[in-house]
Amino acid sequence: MAKEKISAEKLHEICYSCGIETIWQRYDAQDPHCGFGTLGLCCKNCNLGPCRIDPFGEGPQVGTCGANADTISARNLARHAAAGSACHSDHGREIARTLLLFGQGKAPSYAIKSEEKLKKVAGEYGIKIEGRKNEEIAVDLGNAMLADFGKQNEAPVFFKRAPKKQQKIWKNLKIVPQGIDRPIVEMMSRTNIGVDADYKNIMLGTMKTSLADGWAGSMIATEASDILFGAPQAIRSQVNLGVLKDDEVNIIIHGHVPLLSDVIVTATRDEEMLKLAKSKGAKGITIAGICCTANEILMRRGVPVAGSFLQQELAIATGAVEAMVVDLQCILPGLTTVASYFHTKLISTHPKAKFPGMEHIEFEEEKALEVAKEIVTKAIENYPKRDKKKVNIPKEKMELIAGFTAENIFYYLGGKYRGTYRPLNDAIISGRIRGVAGVVGCDNPKIQSSKAHMQMVKELIKHDVLVVQTGCSALACAREGLLVPEAAGKFAGKGIQEVCEAVGIPPVLHLGSCVDNSRILIACTNMVKEGGIGEGIDELPVAGAAPEWMSEKAIAIGWYFVASGALVVFGNEFPVSGSKNMMKYVTEDVEKVTGGKWAFEKDPIKGAHIIIKHIDKKRKALKLGDVMYKSETTKAK
Amino acid sequence: MADHVIIGASAAGVAAAETLRKNDKKASITIISDEKLTLYSRCLLTYLIAGAIDEEKLIFKGKDFYEKNNIKTLLGKKAISIDPKKKAVTLEGGTTVSYDKLLIATGATPKSVNIPGVDKKGIFTIRKIDEARTIIGMLDGVKEVAVLGGGLIGLRDAYALGKKGKDVFVIVKSPHILSQMVDKGASGVIASTLEKNGIKIMTGLAAKEFLGGDSVNEILLDDGKKLKCQLVIIGKGVKPNTDIASSAGLKVEDGIKVDKFLKTSDKNIFAAGDVAETYDVARQANRINALWPCAVEQGNIAALNMLGKEAAYDGSLSMNSVDFFGLRCISMGITKPKEEGYEIISKSSEHSYKKFVLRNNKIVGMVLVGDIKCAGVVSALIKKGIDVSSVKHILCETKFDYAKIMPLVKKFSDKFKEEEYQDTIASYKP
Amino acid sequence: MSKVKVKKDKDITIYCDVTKCVACRTCELACAVEHSKSKDLANSIIEKDTPRKRLTVSAINGKSISVHCQHCKEAPCVTACMSGALSKDEKTGATLQDNEKCVGCWMCVMTCPFGAIVGDSAKHIAVKCDLCPDRDDYACVATCPTGALFAGTKKEFEKKLTKKKK
Repeated sequence: MAKEKISAEKLHEICYSCGIETIWQRYDAQDPHCGFGTLGLCCKNCNLGPCRIDPFGEGPQVGTCGANADTISARNLARHAAAGSACHSDHGREIARTLLLFGQGKAPSYAIKSEEKLKKVAGEYGIKIEGRKNEEIAVDLGNAMLADFGKQNEAPVFFKRAPKKQQKIWKNLKIVPQGIDRPIVEMMSRTNIGVDADYKNIMLGTMKTSLADGWAGSMIATEASDILFGAPQAIRSQVNLGVLKDDEVNIIIHGHVPLLSDVIVTATRDEEMLKLAKSKGAKGITIAGICCTANEILMRRGVPVAGSFLQQELAIATGAVEAMVVDLQCILPGLTTVASYFHTKLISTHPKAKFPGMEHIEFEEEKALEVAKEIVTKAIENYPKRDKKKVNIPKEKMELIAGFTAENIFYYLGGKYRGTYRPLNDAIISGRIRGVAGVVGCDNPKIQSSKAHMQMVKELIKHDVLVVQTGCSALACAREGLLVPEAAGKFAGKGIQEVCEAVGIPPVLHLGSCVDNSRILIACTNMVKEGGIGEGIDELPVAGAAPEWMSEKAIAIGWYFVASGALVVFGNEFPVSGSKNMMKYVTEDVEKVTGGKWAFEKDPIKGAHIIIKHIDKKRKALKLGDVMYKSETTKAK
Repeated sequence: MADHVIIGASAAGVAAAETLRKNDKKASITIISDEKLTLYSRCLLTYLIAGAIDEEKLIFKGKDFYEKNNIKTLLGKKAISIDPKKKAVTLEGGTTVSYDKLLIATGATPKSVNIPGVDKKGIFTIRKIDEARTIIGMLDGVKEVAVLGGGLIGLRDAYALGKKGKDVFVIVKSPHILSQMVDKGASGVIASTLEKNGIKIMTGLAAKEFLGGDSVNEILLDDGKKLKCQLVIIGKGVKPNTDIASSAGLKVEDGIKVDKFLKTSDKNIFAAGDVAETYDVARQANRINALWPCAVEQGNIAALNMLGKEAAYDGSLSMNSVDFFGLRCISMGITKPKEEGYEIISKSSEHSYKKFVLRNNKIVGMVLVGDIKCAGVVSALIKKGIDVSSVKHILCETKFDYAKIMPLVKKFSDKFKEEEYQDTIASYKP
Repeated sequence: MSKVKVKKDKDITIYCDVTKCVACRTCELACAVEHSKSKDLANSIIEKDTPRKRLTVSAINGKSISVHCQHCKEAPCVTACMSGALSKDEKTGATLQDNEKCVGCWMCVMTCPFGAIVGDSAKHIAVKCDLCPDRDDYACVATCPTGALFAGTKKEFEKKLTKKKK
């Protein structure tokens, strides 16, 4: 008999009462956090130190080498951005490499699922298409994309996609990256002892490194994934821990790269696997995702989402997960502790990411399905070990619609056969839609309520700002029921309501994983190209936000938007706040350079109003009229 | 030059003697004790039996304490009567000692049980060093030990003998151990630690008869079963040694009644320690808190009043700390309120337990098992009667510590007027 | 930053300026290292008896403070100590601990209003601030990189606070 379902809150209590330490307890144990780290005033880049700057001005104001707060915090931030770029770009490289392997016939588990995209992108790369087989094109495109990484003297191909205005700005600033890997190497070199000490120059380098992520590394990940796994289409699914089933084998796939998750989904749908599951007493196999790989298989295959970054340990604490399969990025080493209380098998798969206490089954693109079946078999065989007494699946689950892209969103806006941004631009011009905001990024135990995403997004749509989302932020809002068309009537302003009702879309659009922030760049570019709302991204009534950011990847994303001309609002403190000059640079001076800038605001409602104010400023500059409908401001806490 | 006489040379008596001397270099101070060896800590006797310390370590004051402080001693002699009119104490053998001010710090005696066979050899309470020595002397011939009583005292005794590698059975009448202190869940945390270390807990049972010849070798339980044991420890708490006070006509209820200056019904006689019934800050009623820290505190206060310094006693707070095989447990104040009007905040896990008892948003009791870090902070909050509404939600969290109550220290600075508190908030502006 | 070398006497206390503490926990490290055999960070952490810190940096509503033994005048820990391990030094006002006498009954932990005494499970004894007997100053005060920790009289500390405001 099925056990009565508990609430997610109860699951926290169960963890506590069993002495299971999760991210929240570990966070508490770290509190208070070191102020030097928080302010960005600690330098460990050489052995003259480690050095730190006294933020109160009485102690040392320079490190042993003479670097001051500006230099030190700039170098630290630059290295964060380089690491973030490296992460996304490495992900992109793996997909591009698999595209090549597939073309060469070495990765038979994959296919070209979007021929249209293959040809479109190949065209952009100048690859001959006519009369050639997909495989042949894939080889050339895979090679060409991989070549982008190692270029020495020219920009990666996708830089041509950017609005002319942005391209010109970057060229003048000399921040067009040569290749994708090179700016990362360069950033590691220029932040070494005795190299670049001018914080403004370091920030230009940071922007170059980050642009290589957004307009190349991440973009290659997005485009190559669309080719191999299919261009997403709007699709309905479910989110939250309630998607786990108490009578099926539950497999959670966690991490980022769809190379693994996609074939695991295929393996779980295999007849032979289903038969094996039934022989073990299970009614079937449920697969659910966590983190960005969840977004990848959600938007392409409709696979339900178990949770966001913060929920990974709770998922195991349901006691109903036979295996959690991970690849890389955002995987908490703390998982192994939680798993030790349950029967859950933790399986690492990536040669670059191993975890003490996890079983490692190495994933190879060449025999992907084979490995996937091995993993699924292990999970199924673990089903009889599930301790029914320890099973506590929360009841919460929510419907969502995912799978919007830069190419398809506006089919919905303009009617299925008119793929144009005209209706969006017109809605903005007429004031029915105030503007567009991308609310993205991680979730973070620092935000006690963990509802910052939801509060910010609700405030934005209430003021007729259309919201696009990626990553864990999208999942957090999906849990709150914001990613369904019905949400427009409940939460959105009148203008957005009219648009959503007319075309049947949610007021908050799911655009994919964190590499898919590149889709937002393309959407912005398309808005510029459609005309009427400015010549560059910096003129558009748009902004971005990461209310609960935590990963270095978020810093890279933030910077490529700022370098591309957008306002970016971060929720938590930025690790440069110990330098007044750096704070002034990132929040004011950089706007004169790229048109974009940073803002920092912990309160999500106030953060939303920074965006609204910015959008209104841009509308005014574009000489657009007032928005059609007025809305009330929610009181900030 | 006044004559100060103290009956009893344990925590309260010795503390009083020390305070007297500190404040009056000339006064004549006499300590009377029925024990020959004094200045040893009774609370450490179980540590001695467990083999954790030797007899040297039992001594809590320097051996030259009496000499150094110029204190006269009458040791190994029991005081048998007091004549308040003549202001004199009569000792065993007839010696009389006259006083100007007298402190009764006669302590308490372990409660025994009224069960057939209780006179047999091998049945003990643990209160005096002689008892401990005898037990230690016979341990080689002992395999099984029965301990009567599932409160802190009984369990502490059981722990000591368990440490010695004996097969220990704790016989507990209640359905679970520490029933006066915690509910079933928390007692389970402690019970499982004890059981893991070889101490068997037998609940819902009582001893009916001690069997054997001269020496005990079996216990008959009320369910008809018999348990082999060569040693029995009765660990059921203590009763105050009030006889000398009542026969002198002093007012005695549970213990010797004292006012807030620890003065008895006779203006020249004071009482302190396990024999005195004092105001309890958590319960807001008079009560005996037979505990080391209370005894020392009361000894100090009584001494000041014997010197005519009018030092009021804020009241006592019952508290106890035990460590079972590394599992730390602290209880304080009202731990299991019986009436209405209390709020309980608790959190438990397999390895730890925290419980706070509040009345009108003030903490009046606490039980900590496992993580005891915040115990002292809470003890101050209880003693000072601070409204803790603003920190209620984090009481059970690991992060709860002194820093978290600093806003309260600031807010109620009239209650936290000691300079130590004020020093910590000198730079703090909420 | 001037580091005045002052040791405990009746009027001298270690203060923490909560407006300057950045929670870097350098004092925690320095305290543990000072109570190690090697008195060297890298070596102290591999010593058999892991050295223990005697103070804790803790958070108060966005600020932080280094909480340490206040060497109370009427020290509840001394009253509660049933083994005679804790005592007051009449000359300096320091609350001292005799490790040899401590039996680990945690009565002091139970009564310290600052939570400044902790139990060392390995050695089974209580651990508290001993005012760095091996050095002329205090490890925590000497290493504090922002000057939040200060040893001196209350007047001196208050003077320092008002000076800062100007």
